[in-house]
Amino acid sequence: MLAAAPVPSVFNGTAEVLAMVVLLATFAMFRTQLLRAQVKLYAVQSLFVSGLALAAAVTRGESELYVLAVVSAAVKVVAIPAVMRRLLDRIDGSLAGHEAFSVTTAVLVGIAVAAFGFFAVGALEVRTALLPRAALAIGVAVILESFLLMIARTDVPSQAIGFFSLENGVSIAGLVVATGMPLLLELLFLFDLLVAVVAFGVMMRTLHLRSATVSARGLERLRG
Amino acid sequence: MVLSPAAIQALQVATVLFGAPLVQGVIARVEARLQGRRGPRVLQPYYDIAKLFSKETLWPDHATWVFLAAPVVAFCCYLIFPLLIPVLTTYGLPLGYIADIFGSGFVLALAAFAVALAAAESGAPYAQLGSSRAMTFAALGEPIFLFVVFAVALITATDLPYVEAATVRASVAQIVRPAHLLAAAAFFLLMLSDTGRIPVETHSGTLEFGMIDEARTLEHSGPLFALLKWGSAMKQLLLYTVFINVLVAPWGLASTGAPGDVVWAIVSLLGKAILLGCAVAVIDDSFAKLRLFKVAGFMAAGFLLAVLAVLVLFLGAG
Repeated sequence: MLAAAPVPSVFNGTAEVLAMVVLLATFAMFRTQLLRAQVKLYAVQSLFVSGLALAAAVTRGESELYVLAVVSAAVKVVAIPAVMRRLLDRIDGSLAGHEAFSVTTAVLVGIAVAAFGFFAVGALEVRTALLPRAALAIGVAVILESFLLMIARTDVPSQAIGFFSLENGVSIAGLVVATGMPLLLELLFLFDLLVAVVAFGVMMRTLHLRSATVSARGLERLRG
Repeated sequence: MVLSPAAIQALQVATVLFGAPLVQGVIARVEARLQGRRGPRVLQPYYDIAKLFSKETLWPDHATWVFLAAPVVAFCCYLIFPLLIPVLTTYGLPLGYIADIFGSGFVLALAAFAVALAAAESGAPYAQLGSSRAMTFAALGEPIFLFVVFAVALITATDLPYVEAATVRASVAQIVRPAHLLAAAAFFLLMLSDTGRIPVETHSGTLEFGMIDEARTLEHSGPLFALLKWGSAMKQLLLYTVFINVLVAPWGLASTGAPGDVVWAIVSLLGKAILLGCAVAVIDDSFAKLRLFKVAGFMAAGFLLAVLAVLVLFLGAG
């Protein structure tokens, strides 16, 4: 007879739900056409990542984790979305992203990719101290989904959002496997992200100045 | 005094039979209020059904007995379904175990099949269009239902609705586990599409091109049409009951046969169904209807939630 699946504790269940919302936000980015709505989704996603950090902080009682939760919320929920919005303001005329294939196809491929991520992590014997192991699997799935998002979209703003949400997946995985990682290292990651924002911003603007579009399609043509 | 299980079972059917139009009437009223209209009386669906029963039955020239039998078959299916799910009690009633969740799904599918067959039989273009659309989207909804059942089976090691409800009642940990929440959310999306709600369909629209479920019954009239209307109200309440009493809020059910408990169970079920209906009405008023080609994307979203529920369970957690 089939045995009932074990029940996670209330804390583990909640942590898994928080991580799952982050994954669902990545899937929602596939479905969202408007670039501004994508930025908003990214802010929501980051909020839940910070929430996960806060949950870890509360159970562990480490001040470093509190600092991390606050700083990551300030950077990823407030600062980066604000910068992205300003960048989008300057690029008038392009409100919606471009898709390489249809939303339904993207979601179905996304399910397969997420399943791969889940089982790949399930095969690893990773022991985790604080957050449940399922959260690690979900984090890896977020990373893979973000890759897929960057492939499925051909415009630079969507690809930038995909890259940022990839960093959110890395944050979740980092929280699970290395909760006690030195704060300095985590902060470095965040500043890395700021560099990426600047790089994507420059790319968006140059592309827009040169070809009056943010679609990366124009970069595929060779010019002699 | 204690009510016998058979009496309670009969009461389950009666609750759904006579409560469904009331729930529908309240939802219609709330919806009208949200749109700034006064709206019909809460009891209007009862008057509509009574009026239709006193009208004569007309049918298309070339229609056969299938056209006339289908509404009765569908109605009977909706009368059988409440025997199989926990409508009023926490414990299984005598006929409660004759079918599991799959079996109950088949009963609902048979009803939908009968109505679709009658629509095809009528030979009218709009009815046929509705029936073909309804069948197409039902086929897309099937995998969602399957994966929700798989998730429930992995959580409880059975596929009996009573056991799932008992599991949810057992502890907070069972409620916040992601598999349960994802499966419930997937079932909610399936319920929206099966009850003909936005974002899949406007149930109150009069434009045939946008119709799915509503278009199937365009050729029926008189008592048979009354049965179809009543049946669709019952289907709505039945799906709400599964959502509430199996997945989301299985509280307020009678755990003994005491008449007071059973009456309270009836009142609380109708109350919860009306609350859920209000939530659905708010969704109805805050979103636009999807273009027909986008419905597949909506179904894909439901499928995603249901598959993730099963995947999380396979991770050994969730």
